[in-house]
Amino acid sequence: MMTRKIHPLLIAGTVLVFMFLVGPLIIVLGAALSDTTYLTFPPQGLSLRWFENIFEIDAFRRTIFTSLQIALLSTSIALLIGIPAAYALNRYRIQLPGWLSTLFVLPVLVPELVLGFSLLKNVAVQYNSPIYISLLFGHSLLVLPYVIRVISASLAAFDFSIEEAAISLGSPPLKTFFTILLPNVRSGVIAAFILAFITSINDVSISIFLTGPGLSTLPIQLLAHMEQFFDPTVASVSVLLMILTVAVMAIVERTLGLTFLAK
Amino acid sequence: MKRFAGWTLASPATLLIVVFLVLPVLATIVTTFTTPGGPFATYAAFFGSGFRRTVLWRTVQVSLATTAVSLVIGFLTAYVVSRSPGWLKSILIIAAVFPLLTGVVVRSFAWLIILGKNGILNSTLLKLGLISEPLTMLYTQGAVVVAMVYLFVPLMILTLVGVLEGIPDDLIQASASLGAKPAATFMQVTLPLAVPGLIVGAVLVFTGSFTSYATPQLLGGEQVMMMGTLMYQQAMVTFDWVAASTIAAVMVVITIAIVLLMTRVARRLNPMAV
Amino acid sequence: MKNVVTTVLAVSAAALLSAAPASAQGKTLTISWWGFNGEKLESIVLAPFREQCGCEIVFETGNNGERLNKIQIRNGGGVDVAYFSDSFSQQGIEAGLFQKIDPAKLPNLAGIYELARDPQGGYGPAYTIGRVGIVYDSTKVTTPITSWNDLWREDLAASLSLPGITTTAGPMVVMKAGEHAGVDAFADPDAAFAAVEALKPNVVKNYNTGSEMINLFSTGEVSAAIAQDFTLGQIQAAVPTVVWAELAEGSIATLNTVNIPTGAAEPELAYEFINFILSPEIQQQLAEQGVDAPVNTSVTLTPEQAALWTYGADLIAGLQRIDYVQMNAAKSGWVDRWNEIFGM
Repeated sequence: MMTRKIHPLLIAGTVLVFMFLVGPLIIVLGAALSDTTYLTFPPQGLSLRWFENIFEIDAFRRTIFTSLQIALLSTSIALLIGIPAAYALNRYRIQLPGWLSTLFVLPVLVPELVLGFSLLKNVAVQYNSPIYISLLFGHSLLVLPYVIRVISASLAAFDFSIEEAAISLGSPPLKTFFTILLPNVRSGVIAAFILAFITSINDVSISIFLTGPGLSTLPIQLLAHMEQFFDPTVASVSVLLMILTVAVMAIVERTLGLTFLAK
Repeated sequence: MKRFAGWTLASPATLLIVVFLVLPVLATIVTTFTTPGGPFATYAAFFGSGFRRTVLWRTVQVSLATTAVSLVIGFLTAYVVSRSPGWLKSILIIAAVFPLLTGVVVRSFAWLIILGKNGILNSTLLKLGLISEPLTMLYTQGAVVVAMVYLFVPLMILTLVGVLEGIPDDLIQASASLGAKPAATFMQVTLPLAVPGLIVGAVLVFTGSFTSYATPQLLGGEQVMMMGTLMYQQAMVTFDWVAASTIAAVMVVITIAIVLLMTRVARRLNPMAV
Repeated sequence: MKNVVTTVLAVSAAALLSAAPASAQGKTLTISWWGFNGEKLESIVLAPFREQCGCEIVFETGNNGERLNKIQIRNGGGVDVAYFSDSFSQQGIEAGLFQKIDPAKLPNLAGIYELARDPQGGYGPAYTIGRVGIVYDSTKVTTPITSWNDLWREDLAASLSLPGITTTAGPMVVMKAGEHAGVDAFADPDAAFAAVEALKPNVVKNYNTGSEMINLFSTGEVSAAIAQDFTLGQIQAAVPTVVWAELAEGSIATLNTVNIPTGAAEPELAYEFINFILSPEIQQQLAEQGVDAPVNTSVTLTPEQAALWTYGADLIAGLQRIDYVQMNAAKSGWVDRWNEIFGM
């Protein structure tokens, strides 16, 4: 994309916004590296022991794996069913009822705590189904609105006549979808992936009820730890999640084989 | 035929929401209508309490403020980000996502360091001689709004960068070549085309802040109690799920109403929007 | 893009396959507890118990409210042993979630303090004991705090943190406010809440978790708080000048209990486990390692080991007890009145 001149005031504003966004992170990083048994800033003595702590405590190791698993699976499910739904909402807007798009925001409207409670009571216990299923679908539900809404927003500017032209020229619908449509909403899909993944891996409210004997997620385990210990482990987990996100994004970029987000 | 194709594509998502959300949550909400006091007793009790009305009104205020501020900041930032060169854009987006990765506890700790009585902001202001005594910034509505804006601006940026990139370059160049000043192009071409994205962002931010629990809990405390905090109290401490579900039902109805209102106003502004 | 979809699907499939829980051989004991101190509990309690019973052990973790909610939703099922602080186990008892205990199956009951054996009328025993009292920063609060009534002192203006009404210690604040006003808070809540209202100018923020309170101390937001004794060590790590107030009226006793839910799948194993954790050897080790204060009378600690604990017959005899039956009955009304004072 061509870079045009942007008003200097706008650039100054953006710099301020990013200072606002990054400033607290410096405090988090500092606290994570502190050699004290409590959260403090500026750090007193530098140490990596709170990072080691995450891997030394068995419960954290296990739940990191569960959290990653649930985040990847639920994001995949949400993308698999969310992209078609977003497509349908835009392409067949006139044919589909108006309440459908409201239905798709419901997971953000209903307080997560109530959703978690209802899933445990009226699904897991009622039908005696494994709690893992409820946790997975609970998370898929939770991230679905982000997927549908974000992709819808980028589809709104898409000119469907291009797609029709391709089909009328004999391109099979599925191929058209992959070659014409997806490349055009790529940054939307990536934004949706990132948002969904992060929402799931950080979730507390739904997971409170949807974890059970033998099944827990990292944020839940971390909260349990924080009931008794007030050490910088929380900060180091945050930093670790940031490193992990950069890694995931790098993998996405490699897999796609292009500079993602930059058209 | 088109109707059929539309439904086929939308059905898996619809099914997931109906089976795992609508039905289980309805079963919970139904319990609020079957109390011994009559079908609407719990709602009468809710709206009869001055304290609960205060909390509801405060929640609406805080959420609207958060949405408005996030919209403005998010849109302008996303505009600059979407017009940055590729490498810078990737870095900026990653930087925008990071705040979402900080756990609640550590994030509230960071705000304590910044906004606290002995915090960075207060000591800077004291040093500069702008104030003579530390200001009380924590545990106010303002602190809650700041902390929520912090959490929701990334969401707004991510949503809007995709939308702004979708706006064809030719349109903007055409506008410029026809002699429109950049500001006019922005107001008359870019902004209207971004309205669908702005609605999406506003809806996600508003609902997110309306139902938030942890941020008001930690930065507002009991002084700035919001609906989410109140509901948590009822559910987790007094185990009163009927009262908690009542609060949830009120929250859902009010958020849907406000979301519909926002969509309608936006549609007025731009009939092409969703 | 096709590659991405294939990759995602492959990863998902692999993840699903590995998600299947390992099937346990023989019996499995399920414990519901807080989920902290995992490493120490593993080596002191779990590993030897596993050896003794030849069983698997799995956990449900979370705070009191979350875990009790889950047991209630499952109608008393899902776990075999449930750890709770006494105000919550009382709620569980009232909701009919726990079985009556047969003392004959717990021989080690004989060796523990009288008040820990049967604190809640036929239900589970307490395995540890703690105190709720006042902590304060001795450099900022120059006149020592020696009574619950001192909380209302003017020199504590805007420097106090109370436990939120929703925490274990929250309702105790109301009871103390009643005593300050010279009434029984259960009989005359109006007077008690008037005293709570009078306390409000001293309050900066009420806390809901220990970590919040410690952050409030370490950042200098507050200089005094009502707290549980197990937090003292961590506050002192951040602010060494914080001390535990010696109160004329005594601190309040809190007991952590172990119960067997009505739907327990392995009640016999649960009895064996409870008896195990009350044994002198285990109690001695837990106390020495800084995990839990002992209830077994034969545990002996050096003064250093005992420093932060609620330890010793004399100290325990001087603690105040709470009538949780009465407190839980009053709690939901109190929550509203409390909210109206602090949340308006």
